Amino acid sequence: MSPLNRRDFMKTSVGAAAALAALAPARSYGANDKIVIGVMGLGGRGTYLAQKFAERPETEIAYLCDPNTRRFSRARNAVEEEQDRSPKLVQDFRRILDDKNVDVFINATPDHWHGLGTIMACQAGKDVYVEKPLAHNIWEGRKMVEAARKYKRVVQVGMQSRSAPYVHKAKEYIKSGKLGDVYLVRVYNMMQHPKQADTPDGPVPDGFDYDLWCGPAAKLPYNPSRRWLNQWEYSCGPIAGDAVHQFDLARFLTDDIPYPDAVSQTGGIRSLKDGRDAPDTQMAIFEYGPLTMTMDATLWTPYMKKIPAGIRDSDQFPKWPFCSTKVEILGTEGFMYFGRHGGGWELYDGDGDLVHSEYGRQADKEHQDNFMECVRTRKHPTSDVEIGHLSVLPFHIANISYRVGNRRLQFDAATETFTNCDEANQYLKRQYRPGWVVPETV
Amino acid sequence: MVRQRCVRSMLVGWVLVAVCCSSGYARWLDLGDVKVRQEPTELGGPKTIIEYDLKDTGITPALPAYVFLRYSKDFGDTWQLMPTDYLQGNGFGIVEKPGPKEVIWWGLGQTGVADLGQVEVRARAMAMARVPGGQFIMKSLPGAGRDEAKRRQPNSAPPLFYMARYETTLAMYADYLNEVGGEGAGWNRRMSREDRCGIAQNSDHTYRVVEGRENYPVTYVSWYDAMGFLQWCGLRLPTEAEWEKAVRGGLYLDGDATKQQPNPLPERQFPWGNEAPDANGVYRCNFDGEADGFSHTAPVGSFAEFAGPYAICDLAGNVAEWTLDWYSTSYHAGLDGFRVVRGGSWMAVPVACDAVTGATQLPLKETSIMGFRGVIGVIGPIGPMGPIGPITK
Repeated sequence: MSPLNRRDFMKTSVGAAAALAALAPARSYGANDKIVIGVMGLGGRGTYLAQKFAERPETEIAYLCDPNTRRFSRARNAVEEEQDRSPKLVQDFRRILDDKNVDVFINATPDHWHGLGTIMACQAGKDVYVEKPLAHNIWEGRKMVEAARKYKRVVQVGMQSRSAPYVHKAKEYIKSGKLGDVYLVRVYNMMQHPKQADTPDGPVPDGFDYDLWCGPAAKLPYNPSRRWLNQWEYSCGPIAGDAVHQFDLARFLTDDIPYPDAVSQTGGIRSLKDGRDAPDTQMAIFEYGPLTMTMDATLWTPYMKKIPAGIRDSDQFPKWPFCSTKVEILGTEGFMYFGRHGGGWELYDGDGDLVHSEYGRQADKEHQDNFMECVRTRKHPTSDVEIGHLSVLPFHIANISYRVGNRRLQFDAATETFTNCDEANQYLKRQYRPGWVVPETV
Repeated sequence: MVRQRCVRSMLVGWVLVAVCCSSGYARWLDLGDVKVRQEPTELGGPKTIIEYDLKDTGITPALPAYVFLRYSKDFGDTWQLMPTDYLQGNGFGIVEKPGPKEVIWWGLGQTGVADLGQVEVRARAMAMARVPGGQFIMKSLPGAGRDEAKRRQPNSAPPLFYMARYETTLAMYADYLNEVGGEGAGWNRRMSREDRCGIAQNSDHTYRVVEGRENYPVTYVSWYDAMGFLQWCGLRLPTEAEWEKAVRGGLYLDGDATKQQPNPLPERQFPWGNEAPDANGVYRCNFDGEADGFSHTAPVGSFAEFAGPYAICDLAGNVAEWTLDWYSTSYHAGLDGFRVVRGGSWMAVPVACDAVTGATQLPLKETSIMGFRGVIGVIGPIGPMGPIGPITK
């Protein structure tokens, strides 16, 4: 029997809470009522989500929001191809929150705006679809959970793998004991990222409200080559941002173990020496009692490839040794390769023979379906805000470990603080710019 | 059914009756009657001579015509581009002055055709602008100022190239579809939308332009559709550097070889200068809203007065233009690379129609705000396909 089943879950475990939570109905949705949506953040992901929700017959996009007006036309065009209503284009997301007719708020901004955007949306009575990683830091993630609970909002996190049927099949398979006792899960996030160009800081382009874009984060001098993803001010790093999908899958497959007891890591900036803050190499160990999770993360390994588009939604497996985003699950009786992005899974027995496999499909649509269903039924969605918090939290800890010199950090779940390193505790929370402060009481 | 305004050539003695040209489609230049005849040679078999009269007095070395010829050996079922390596004369490729033109095609053996009477020829021409080789001030980084992968180093000194003066029009694109389209490659249903495009498919899979829309830029074309059309012409998409140089002009408008004409505004924000597109109540390009006179796309050349330093129209606004450049972003490693799209569109805010803003789009994407234009360069591996072809006087 898997040691996981004997774990004594904390009260905050979503497994206990999900079925019982009753979220306040926002309003009664009649059969013909369209659910009205505002989208904050019109980069690649925001534009994609705007289009997908515009395609749905039961929703319409009323607002498209980005501080950079140059982003309007691509998103507006994508939306107008799918729905009759012409969305309003705004730079300030508060226009969306002030509009009582808006039901749902989609937050697809860089990491530093996930927290305040979601919290303010909950305060304004909107349900929220917020992209991963949930929050810029651990404290902010907890505030987002508190806001969702206090205002009884449906908050879905963009960890869409959880909604994929092939993932659920894998979980059932593991639960049935066919891998034996699982003591080790290896999570991979290895790929090639580009170096940032070396250009001087420059003037803010016309039509871009850079101050608003920075929001709660420090307003660093504008530089067109600086990628927000690589800077601590705006992000929890490109590794955390991407690996959270695989790690969430790993947690789901091992029954949503909530908190690590300790995290160690080693790494740094080895190859992409271009002025970034976030490491390009992170080898981390997450101790979850008898279960150990590891992360192998590199951004300078070109032979490691994300699963190609042609394989994701077809009956094929990736080349496992060179798969950027795989999870390996090791039990006393079996071994499983697991691929994100619809990569499927393969199970090998004690003799190393393949005994079972399942192809996969990506689950963006199912995830959006689940969110919309929960908006109507007021149930917790598949990737509820608290799940999002617990899945990115280990990465925040790994990043903090890096920032205090690659130390092993012990974590107390009840207080969500470090017990063996005061220096680390200062990184639980960020400094907020005046006017954009996340309050202690949301 | 508008299929082609051409007559199958027939061998009458040594003279072939007038062949087709696609005059009547807006923005192909008018080549008048194109005559095809044969002349015997002493030792090499007959040579084919294609003659036409380029009457447009506006054709100059700075604003030449690009002429390309296509032929069919199977009574118009399939067509090929006449390979310029086998052509001589003054009537193909870049043509720099008006007057009678001649193309000599030594190709009977290569065509594999025993009887030239089976061959039909179509000659088409488009208006181009000459962009001399040399340095320019390239301010943009690919992808709206975020250089993700630097796969293609921006070249701020492109060699000589010629760019289409106008965005590819519905008439031109429909002509292409009718020649090669068949069951729908290159066309999609959204193209029949009259407000945002205007090419409808007939029940026999031929195509017609909605009346009055011939001079509007083609939209709902993917990057592959754009490349398909341009390869059909013997052209290619511009690189980002070429596109940006067309807006700003080189440091010397006559090029680095002569350096006689310094560019008064080498870092201009827009093709016409630095005034905003709507400054002082004057509308200089087609951007978002109707104040500029157009709620959606405008006929190409509607803002010719505000064309760039090389008289190339609608680089700012109207439709955003596909370029050759692409890269993959960190988030999408493993997926086919995004392509760079430049110039803003009829839906863009005015500032997005400037010289440096770039957008990115997946190459299969077909939207109402994207179109394209073609370029031809000198011999040399400018594009990924290698040598482009000769320029002739």
